[in-house]
Amino acid sequence: MFDQLRAFHRPTSVATALRLSESERRAGGRGTFVAGGTDVVVAGDRSLRWIVDLTKLPLRYVKRRGRGLAIGATSTFADLEASAAVRRLADGIVAEAAGTAGSRQIRAMGTAGGNLANASPAADLAPPFLALDAAVVIAGGGGGGGGRRTVPLDAFFRGPNRTVLNGGLLVEIVIPAAPAPRGGRAAWSFQKLGRLESDIAVVSAAAGVAVDAGGRCTWARLALGAVGPTPLRARRAEALLVGKPFDRAAAEAAAARAAEEAKPVTDVRGTAAYRREMSRVLVARALAECLERMGRTR
Amino acid sequence: MIPRRTTHRAGGAKNAAGSGRASHGAVNDLVIHVKVNGEARRWTTAPGDLLLDVLRREGYWGVKRGCESGECGACAVLVDGEPVNSCLMFAVQADGRSLTTVEGVADRERLDVVQEAFLDHGAVQCGYCTPAMVLVTRALLARSPHPSEAEVREALGGVFCRCTGYKKPVEAVLAAAKAGGGERSRPAARRAARAGKGARR
Repeated sequence: MFDQLRAFHRPTSVATALRLSESERRAGGRGTFVAGGTDVVVAGDRSLRWIVDLTKLPLRYVKRRGRGLAIGATSTFADLEASAAVRRLADGIVAEAAGTAGSRQIRAMGTAGGNLANASPAADLAPPFLALDAAVVIAGGGGGGGGRRTVPLDAFFRGPNRTVLNGGLLVEIVIPAAPAPRGGRAAWSFQKLGRLESDIAVVSAAAGVAVDAGGRCTWARLALGAVGPTPLRARRAEALLVGKPFDRAAAEAAAARAAEEAKPVTDVRGTAAYRREMSRVLVARALAECLERMGRTR
Repeated sequence: MIPRRTTHRAGGAKNAAGSGRASHGAVNDLVIHVKVNGEARRWTTAPGDLLLDVLRREGYWGVKRGCESGECGACAVLVDGEPVNSCLMFAVQADGRSLTTVEGVADRERLDVVQEAFLDHGAVQCGYCTPAMVLVTRALLARSPHPSEAEVREALGGVFCRCTGYKKPVEAVLAAAKAGGGERSRPAARRAARAGKGARR
C-alpha cells in the first residue's frame, strides 16, 4: 500500500528521531511519525516517502511525578488499562477510556501520544485528559532546535487532525495532582456513546468535580468529545457549577449549558441535533455518577 | 551517532546504516530478523510492506486477509505474546520480535487445548476467523487464565465472525480455560511440554 515509502527510520532516542525527521523534511517529500499505526496505516496515505517509527524510543512508561502522573507517549491503550497507577487515578476514567478505544488488538497497538497527536475530535483519551488538566510535553518542532515545551492539552488541538505540534514530537503527557479539597470530596466520570462501546464515539464526555465539606462545588471540569472540531471543555457549564451546592439540579443545569457549548456536526455517525442532545445526556450521566461516587445522591 | 539498525532505507541492505539516499533503487531489499513460531527467520522486505503481506508471502497462510483496515481482526497474530492486527503493522516494526501465528499453536500433530475446545464445541463454521480467534484466546488466557464470560466476549469481539456468531466460540474459550488452557499458554509450561516433561491431562 505504501509503495512510495523509501525510508523507514527506527531511532532509539528522541533527539535522533527529531534529527531524522528534520533532515527528511528539508529533503522534501511527505512523511510522518508512526507508533502503533492504528491511525497512520488506516489513513493509508500512499504518497508517504519516509516514516520515523517511534516504537523503539524509551517512551513507554507510567511514572509518578510529584502527586501527579507522567505518561510516556508510546504507552499503549492496553498499558494504561493495566497500570495500577492509571486505574487509581481519578476514579479510573483514563483506564476506562483506554479500554473503549477499540478491540484488544487495537488497544495493544495504539498509543496515548498517537491518540492525542492524531487530533481526532473523537479521540477517546482526550476528554478524560482534559478533565484532569493534563498537559503535553513537545520536543522540537517549530523550525529546529531540540527544546521542549509544555502545552496544556486545552491549547494543543487546533482543529480536526490539527495541533500545535508543528513538526515536533509529543513525548509525554503530564497529569497534575488532582484537587483534594480538605474535608471534601472529588469524583470523576467518563461516558461514551458509540454503536458499540469499542466503536468510535458519537459523543463522549468526562467530568471531574470537587466539593468542600459542606457539599459546595469548588472545582469542576467538563470535557466533550466528537461534538466539535476538537475535543473541548464546556467552560460555561463548569462555571455554572462552581460555588454552588453540587446536587441533581445543579448537574442538570450544567448538562443543559454544556450542550449549548457543543459545536456538533452531522456525519455518518449522527446528526448535529442528536449529538447536541446526547451531549446533555452524557454530561448529566457523568455528573450523576460523580454525585454517586461522592456518596451524595440528594 | 546513529546505531547501525536505526534506519531501514530502501536501495540496498548495505545502506541499512543510513548512509546515502537511495531514491531510485529497488525497494525489496530491507532485511529484518524475526522469530516466527520459535524459528528464526531472515526476511527481505520493502519499507512500506505490512506485516500481513509479508507473513502471507512467506507462507503463513493461517494469517487471513480481511478488511485491511484494522476492523475485522482476521489477520491477528501475536507479537511478543500480544495480539495485534498484522494489517496495521509495518513489517519492519516486527524486526527483532517474536511472532506467533496459528501455524505455531499446535505441537506438531498435537492440537493445543484451545484448538481442541473449538473443535469439541463446533466453534468453527467457515473457519476464516478461526486462526485469529484461537490466537486472541491464547493471549487472553495467558493474561487471565480464568476469564469471565464478559472478558471472553470482549476478547473475541476484536475478531469478526460473519457466519454464525459468538455463542459457540465463547463456550469453547470458557471450556479451554477450565481445561487449563491458561496454564498451558504460559511460556514455561510450553517449554516443559516441548521438552516432553509436561504430561498432557
